[in-house]
Amino acid sequence: MPDVFAVPIFFIVFRECVEVSIIVSLLLSWQKQTLGSDPAINKKLRRQVWYGCLAGLLVCFIVGGGMIGSFYGLHIDKWGATEPYWEGVFSIVASIIIAAMGAALLRVSKLQAKWQAKIHASFDAKDATKASSKWERVKAWTRKYFMFWLPFVTVLREGAEAIIFIAGVGLGLPGRSIPLPVVVGLAAGAVVGVILYKGGNFAPVHIFLIVSTCFLYLVAAGLFSKGVWFLESGAWNKIIGGDAAETGSGPGSYDIRQSVWHVNCCNPYINGGGGWGIFNAILGWQNSATVGSVVSYNLFWLVTILTFLGMAFNEKNGRWPLMKAKTVDRKGSETDSGSEKDGGIAYPEKTAKRDTETVTEVQSTKS
Amino acid sequence: MVPPSAGSTLMTLCLLGSSALAAIVNYDFNISWVTAQPDGFSRPTIGINGEWPIPQITANVGDRVIINVVNGLGNQTTSLHFHGLYMNGTPHMDGPVSVTQCAIPPGGSFVYDFHINQPGTYWYHSHDSGQYPDGLRGALIVKDPDSPYKDQYDEELVLTLSDWYHDQMPGQLARFISYANPTGAEPVPKSALMNDTQNLDIKVEPGKTYMFRIINMGAFAGQYLWFEGHTMKIVEVDGIYTEAAEADMIYLTAAQRYSVLITTKDDASSNFAIVGSMDQDLFDAVPADLNPNVTGWLVYSDSAPRPTPALVDEFEPFDDFTLAPYDKLPLYTDPDYSFELRVEMNNLGDGANYAWFNNITYVRPKVNTLYTALTSGNLATNPAIYGDHTNPFVLEKDQVVEIVLDNMDPGKHPFHLHGHAFQTVARSEEEAGDYMYNETLPAYPMRRDTVMVRPNGNLVLRFKADNPGIWLFHCHIEWHVASGLIATIVERPLDLQNTLSLAGSPYASPNSSALAIPTSHIEACTKQDISIAGNAAGNQDDLLDLRGQNAPPAPLPEGFTAKGIVAMTFSIVAALLGMAVIGWYGNLDRKDVK
Repeated sequence: MPDVFAVPIFFIVFRECVEVSIIVSLLLSWQKQTLGSDPAINKKLRRQVWYGCLAGLLVCFIVGGGMIGSFYGLHIDKWGATEPYWEGVFSIVASIIIAAMGAALLRVSKLQAKWQAKIHASFDAKDATKASSKWERVKAWTRKYFMFWLPFVTVLREGAEAIIFIAGVGLGLPGRSIPLPVVVGLAAGAVVGVILYKGGNFAPVHIFLIVSTCFLYLVAAGLFSKGVWFLESGAWNKIIGGDAAETGSGPGSYDIRQSVWHVNCCNPYINGGGGWGIFNAILGWQNSATVGSVVSYNLFWLVTILTFLGMAFNEKNGRWPLMKAKTVDRKGSETDSGSEKDGGIAYPEKTAKRDTETVTEVQSTKS
Repeated sequence: MVPPSAGSTLMTLCLLGSSALAAIVNYDFNISWVTAQPDGFSRPTIGINGEWPIPQITANVGDRVIINVVNGLGNQTTSLHFHGLYMNGTPHMDGPVSVTQCAIPPGGSFVYDFHINQPGTYWYHSHDSGQYPDGLRGALIVKDPDSPYKDQYDEELVLTLSDWYHDQMPGQLARFISYANPTGAEPVPKSALMNDTQNLDIKVEPGKTYMFRIINMGAFAGQYLWFEGHTMKIVEVDGIYTEAAEADMIYLTAAQRYSVLITTKDDASSNFAIVGSMDQDLFDAVPADLNPNVTGWLVYSDSAPRPTPALVDEFEPFDDFTLAPYDKLPLYTDPDYSFELRVEMNNLGDGANYAWFNNITYVRPKVNTLYTALTSGNLATNPAIYGDHTNPFVLEKDQVVEIVLDNMDPGKHPFHLHGHAFQTVARSEEEAGDYMYNETLPAYPMRRDTVMVRPNGNLVLRFKADNPGIWLFHCHIEWHVASGLIATIVERPLDLQNTLSLAGSPYASPNSSALAIPTSHIEACTKQDISIAGNAAGNQDDLLDLRGQNAPPAPLPEGFTAKGIVAMTFSIVAALLGMAVIGWYGNLDRKDVK
């Protein structure tokens, strides 16, 4: 299964799709509320929203498909002996990307407030132009414009984000493992959007988001550990002068000096690994765990826990633990939530930084 | 041609004397480092009396050979084993270290003194710490004035084959038995040699018959050998005359010998290539720059060109199993003692790969097994005293012994038994699996002392316990000797106590006519503080107490050990805790949702 379904890719697409869904569902709800009286205009505007989405999606597919496609065309299996090193680096990069995104996904519910404000702001701005009658047409045109461009730009932006993430995370993955999770991710995101729109209730989605964030972090922790494992495996291949996987799961497939546990079965890298391959893709299972892979796994969680605790502390106290409070108070909750998107990314970037430090630590203890 | 020269200054008498007179052949061997470049690469090599190739030992049937060895290496111990000689009555002269003698320490001297009552083509080599591939191996020829084939040839020539390394064995062995070589990949030789050189000229005259005594004294590689344009007539293998058999190509595993008759052409106008080709099936990875072949020429005319050997499509060597002994010794029937040896390769806790007979990898005992047999009284027939890691099998007088060897390894292995030539009564094809005891056995099986078992195949050998001694049975790939593919045959230990004596010690034989083990043998032990009495652990009081015996590294940990369980638990707790924090943080957010 990991061969055709890259779990991290699914989550990336899903997360971006949820974000777009929220915006689209908000737009549609808003339209329904404000323009519900005029079914004709309403229908027109709805159509615009969908055209915007589809146009954005189309551009994303073309650009993203081309980019990732050519990327794979260029690099396909030319790593050779250095492959474990590349896989290791890619896994670690992917885990950092996912970790950085995960927190944002958790905060996706706050987007509701953010986008409501945005739509209101735009609409208010348009209302202001209402005074001049010669702007009537322009206003209508702008409104039309707005209903097309807003979803279009949103889809484009989220799509671009997804493409970059997929390219980053997918580097170490086989090309054929990408399409399916993209499609499934889009579908799942759309389903969430429909739930939001129909129910207008974030509560079940919220729980779902928490659960899926947990899942995403599990994947990220596994990837991080796997990345370290790959680096070590590359070093081991170098020592034995061949591909350790060729020796199967038994003695010789691992470095006894670094071994924490080893079971002569359940190798996730032989013949696709079967269920163990899925276990490996999702949780980072190794039939042969090393000191490095176990330590890095635990370290990843430690850093994640501390980061989340720190973020909670920061939100509550307006400063980071062990740091003095800033002299300038944070702004009100409205603007605060407006900057949430930035904040959501900013905090995990710290996570990312810390993770990079972890990597260097692990490497330095190795050397 | 580099002649297999007799470097001895004291080789005497025998060449001139009549065959009826047993002579004493004396050699003084100072084993020391020399520099040699048989394949063009100059390297430190173990020579004798400052020479390499080392001298050929030559004797007649019935001669007494006395070799005074001085170890002048300075940095290594050594020993000499006379491969194929039965050493009947003098098993302490056989040479394997920790079995029949202590290693000769640097600066030490040692006497080998034995009678040769068997004709044929043999060789001698160090039997200490995988040492011989560094150069300490040479031909040992026992001439036979009464050979059944003596009228069929005009001249004898010795042709040795060998693989050759550029690195010295101690370093190579350390890399071979190492965590970094978990598959047990044997170092691949750098080149092949013929009479310890390459591009060898063998001058021959037309219309004559030569007997080539061919010896593979390599460490690892078997070699295919053929003479272009000439047919070989096999007349001897490993010292046993065979009924003549024609062959175009023969295969010699490490340590095997053949005597073949070759009749030269009447036309002396052209020369013919002799090709030795190392069996690359044995090599895990063949380096691109390896030349597996070594070439020589039957030189009829010095002025004629020496042709490049033609390529062969396929190696189709003569199957030695089909040979029959000249003496028509019939099959030993109804074995009194039959045991199985299962060959496997597996790893131990140090990550290195070891070789196993019946799940035991050989580790040298603390006391030479022969001395254990001599100093253990009636307990000498109890295999336990010889240690848990020596694979001892105790034989009684005149038993017909059968060794059933099942090769569980996908490699070829040449097995050698000291002190005997065995009948090869069954040998399977590749991948045949275990011996099923349902073969029709040959009436007059071939006898030899080294025979190859095929990959994942089986092999059945029989011999008669007619030669008291401690005889190793082992794979003659030197790497596998080092990784433990050795069993110890303890043959008639009580007879040993009666015929050999650790003279001057409390363990001297009660039999006053017993042969005294020479002082130089005892001194080799005492100089290195090695006990000459007791069980494999050196325990003299309670021979069944083997505490402190030499043992292999601990087994590889299986699955989840305590360490693994702790690590797994920590990881699971960390993940659960992490997810709890994520959930908690996510719910902080929830209040804000309207």
